[in-house]
Amino acid sequence: MSDIAVQDLNVWFDKNHALKNVNITVGGNQITAIIGPSGCGKSTFIRCINRMNDLIAGCKVEGKVIVDGKDIYDKDVDVVDIRKSIGMVFQKPNPFPKSIFENIAYAPRIHGVTDEDGNVHKASKQELAELVEWSLKRAALWDEVKDRLDKSAYNLSGGQQQRLCIARALAIKPEIILFDEPCSALDPIATAKIEDLLIDLKNDYTVLIVTHNMQQAGRVADKTAYFYLGDLIEYGETKQIFENPKQELTEQYITGRMG
Amino acid sequence: MNRRSKEALFFNIFRGCALFVVIVLVVILGYILINGVGKLSIDLFTQNPAPNSHGAMVAGGILSPIVGTLMLMAIVLIIAVPAGVFGAVFLVEYGGNNRISRAWWMIVNNLAGVPSIVWGLVGVGLLVYYLNFGLSLLAAGVTLSFVILPLIMVATKEAIEAIPPSIREASVALGATKWQTVRHHILPYSASGILTGIILSLSRAAGETAPILLTGVAVNAAIPSSLSDSVQALPYYIYLMTQTSDRSAAIPMAYAAALVLIGVIVLLNLGAIILRNRYRQKYRW
Repeated sequence: MSDIAVQDLNVWFDKNHALKNVNITVGGNQITAIIGPSGCGKSTFIRCINRMNDLIAGCKVEGKVIVDGKDIYDKDVDVVDIRKSIGMVFQKPNPFPKSIFENIAYAPRIHGVTDEDGNVHKASKQELAELVEWSLKRAALWDEVKDRLDKSAYNLSGGQQQRLCIARALAIKPEIILFDEPCSALDPIATAKIEDLLIDLKNDYTVLIVTHNMQQAGRVADKTAYFYLGDLIEYGETKQIFENPKQELTEQYITGRMG
Repeated sequence: MNRRSKEALFFNIFRGCALFVVIVLVVILGYILINGVGKLSIDLFTQNPAPNSHGAMVAGGILSPIVGTLMLMAIVLIIAVPAGVFGAVFLVEYGGNNRISRAWWMIVNNLAGVPSIVWGLVGVGLLVYYLNFGLSLLAAGVTLSFVILPLIMVATKEAIEAIPPSIREASVALGATKWQTVRHHILPYSASGILTGIILSLSRAAGETAPILLTGVAVNAAIPSSLSDSVQALPYYIYLMTQTSDRSAAIPMAYAAALVLIGVIVLLNLGAIILRNRYRQKYRW
């Protein structure tokens, strides 16, 4: 799975310097948690990886984000291609106001599906149905919704909606999945289900998760990065960050004296 | 005054206001109905206005005003609806949130408040004389389009902005282009709001008198056979009837025409409700 190498990343929102000289390499087949107090730039950071910040007026990005050996901020990169290969799950579940099936089938419908030879063709009904089932199973939602795929996604509970959004992201067959505080709107039981899912997903994907729940980072993440005021303060094995932080600032945050 | 009686007081004030609105509506509709219903007949819908023995245009039916109004609305539908909807989509989706697009919206909002007689003046100066349209169906239809273009734009903008930004993010994050996001999500989800705006604007266009008065209607116009012919229209016909000296014959005709005009608008709104419900059912939040 893809490594992500971030080099000298700087982000400005107009005059506000939101990320300062961030250098980090995120490995594949593991979960990397991004933690830090509100406004530290953790969401900004994760949104640089699929160039969602491009949508924000006044946002300027400098530096490199290298995925699969290619800088996604290169001039000749098509931003739509980037987003096609990177899944993203947001803070609040945001299914489309369509059926469960159509939510997941949307991306394969517009992009087509890739066959074994790497050729893209229009998705057939059969392929769509298979892909929807595969995605829902992968997101541990299939058993709960298989009898009502034609019902509105908004009939689902919040936790189910969030797993639907994960299934929707899986349907684009990404290598990287970005989670931007995926559990902040969910109750503990729904949260636990998502966390199990995250751990399951890391076998096949590069997973990045932004969270302000430090216990969550401790439970799921292999590596943890601590951001503070736009600086990457410390990055290492999750165990080391939580038990033996090298930086004074990290320790203050971990122990709850700040943040 | 204690809490409970205060509660009762305001409740009753609001109830009174609501009752007042209902009464006004019933009185207006009832008055028109009572005065106009006597003139409703097959002839009213199948004959053009004709002069009576004194030469006043109070005899015959109102076929040509009805057809004229429908033709004007068709022109408005063809010109103002696509221009308004897609113009607003462009400004919202592609214009960004900068000083220029805010200035645009300020202009649009102000245009929405311009009195219709001013549009009539623009129509007569720009279209009828400068562009040589003459007093015609086309000039009147285009002028009416001017009147409701800003209304459709504002309605479209509000409908689009009611869609949560998170839906847009979801689409973009899946690798949809901006156009795909607009085509597959923004437009369908805002369609019920946009349709409502369109129909309300069309109703407004159907009832406007001042813009067409200066640009295309004529007392004895028949059903137009080309865009350059002059036209009759229901609101103008009603206006004429109130100006005629033969009041005893004219006033019932005015009420009958008003009844038909209201009927046309009610039908339009019914269509809007049906369309809207269909979209609401399709996209459930």
